[in-house]
Amino acid sequence: MNQWEVYVNSEKELAEDTDLELTIRTLNPGLHKYTYKRVKCQVSSDLKKYADQLQVRLGRGQLSASRFSIKVLGEIQRMPAKYA
Amino acid sequence: MAAPRSNREFVEACVKSGDAVRIKQEVDWENEAGAIVRRACELAAPAPFMEKIKDYPGFSYFGAPLSTYRRMAISMGMDPNASLPEIGKEYVKRTNGEPIAPVLVDRKDAPCKENILKGKDVDLCKLPIPLVHDGDGGRYVGTWHAVVTKHPVRGDVNWGMYRQMMFDSRTMSGAVFPFSDLGKALNDYYLPRGESCPFATAIGLSPLAAMAACAPSPIPEPELTGMLAGEPVKLVKCETNDLEVPADAEIILEGEICPDYKVEEGPFGEYTGYRTSPRDFRVTFRVNCITYRNNATMTISNMGVPQDEGQLLRSFSLGLELEKLLKSQGIPVTGVYMHPRSTHHMMIVGVKPTYSGVAQQIGQLAFGSKLGPWFHMVMVVDDQTDIYNWDEVYHAFCTRCHPENGIHIYRNSPGTPLYPFATPHERKFSIGSKVVFDCLWPTDWDRINDVPTLVSFKNVYPKDVQEKVMSNWTAYGYPAVK
Ligand SMILES: Cc1cc2nc3c(=O)[nH]c(=O)nc-3n(C[C@H](O)[C@H](O)[C@H](O)COP(=O)(O)O)c2cc1C
Repeated sequence: MNQWEVYVNSEKELAEDTDLELTIRTLNPGLHKYTYKRVKCQVSSDLKKYADQLQVRLGRGQLSASRFSIKVLGEIQRMPAKYA
Repeated sequence: MAAPRSNREFVEACVKSGDAVRIKQEVDWENEAGAIVRRACELAAPAPFMEKIKDYPGFSYFGAPLSTYRRMAISMGMDPNASLPEIGKEYVKRTNGEPIAPVLVDRKDAPCKENILKGKDVDLCKLPIPLVHDGDGGRYVGTWHAVVTKHPVRGDVNWGMYRQMMFDSRTMSGAVFPFSDLGKALNDYYLPRGESCPFATAIGLSPLAAMAACAPSPIPEPELTGMLAGEPVKLVKCETNDLEVPADAEIILEGEICPDYKVEEGPFGEYTGYRTSPRDFRVTFRVNCITYRNNATMTISNMGVPQDEGQLLRSFSLGLELEKLLKSQGIPVTGVYMHPRSTHHMMIVGVKPTYSGVAQQIGQLAFGSKLGPWFHMVMVVDDQTDIYNWDEVYHAFCTRCHPENGIHIYRNSPGTPLYPFATPHERKFSIGSKVVFDCLWPTDWDRINDVPTLVSFKNVYPKDVQEKVMSNWTAYGYPAVK
């Protein structure tokens, strides 16, 4: 199970069970903790629905009490290839 | 005492004078190190030198480098007990002299080249980048550092302290305000042309190089560092671009600023004592090479409520640079000071009020200068008021500033996105508004009959009575006054 975190201005941005594009950071322990990825994913307030867990922070870093499960469907590459 | 030439010499000097503590037990890069630095700032305690960092053997942290006037004095090679006006006088003296050009040294003489990571080896996570405050948008690489760039046309070098957050192993996102030197170069040149801008971030600088990087001086920072130190700063060529970086810096990140790729940055604890600016797409830095010293020390400034270097050092240099500007224009100023607790939002200017309108003239020059976006209040008091003594300034403000005639408001001026009081729209577009508090007696009032007399021990009693009372003070039964 992976742990992820997302920043949103409003939890309305986390529509359930539909394809979303989110910038999420890993909370898995280790050197890469807090690094980000842009992903296509689905989320659910049913914590058992998807294998990974998602925690939510609001606009100024406040930790939300809401928790979600998340399925990462794939990484989205925003960076132009020349910078790879 | 000579000014410390490197961060290492500075740490040693601070430990020796009791202005830094060596923390030998392991400290976590995630929150714990940041919390230590924050507490040290809020208590004005010695700077923490953290020798053992979880997950990162061989690295160390030095936090709150210049968050006390004592450490500022040490950084300038002065007695740690030097008073603030003495430190200020020395800063003005050194920065009014001839610029001292940097010297270029060979790679083999540059400690920052002891370890070099290129290509697939580049991974920011190999460095102990701290999570400074819980809830920050990321681990911040650059909190006490210099971003080195060169103007594409004029060729002048800029070192600026612009915060940088790690986004992924090779990408950082940073807040470069549009009115800063780098902001102007990006917006005038690189972004419209779609060209990438080479940069190098130097972390763990000598304290005077860091002071120069965040000073609002028109002198290029390498020269300014030389003037402050009294000797040339040593630079070395980067590995992957044409920039030159301080040879004794602890860590160097080389790369390019991407004109066509943006990632999210923030939120972050800021010098105003709040997280104000929202998470947003800001300036994206792609890292191509990392070099660092053996046993490298990462420097950390933890901004929040007063007082840290965001307030103390910036108040110091903003005030002194304004004093130089006002004097260059022939304004009869007697001193300029920002109390760090104003989070460098209020400039207090002492002046000999010999003509009318001088307070507005000062306000217009201050707000219209390069320094202007960083503060929104100018309080002008007369030369009888001690600008360093908040009790006196506050008394002058509350008693002399006329609510209608003494308060002058300027709308639609440049501001920072970090002003907590600004509307969300003003923050997004760096729009400010400003106010002058004129605490001078109007020059058209009759000196004898209209201007009230200040009733204080110093002002109303004859000198001989004052001396008699002071010399008999303990004889009256009072404890001695220091
Ligand atoms: C700890 C610290 C952090 C700072 N962070 C930023 C920042 O993120 N963005 C910015 O534009 N200025 C920041 N500043 C202020 C700049 O360093 C300062 O304005 C400097 O003079 C920039 O140079 P320039 O205006 O000549 O480009 C910071 C200052 C300090 C002391």
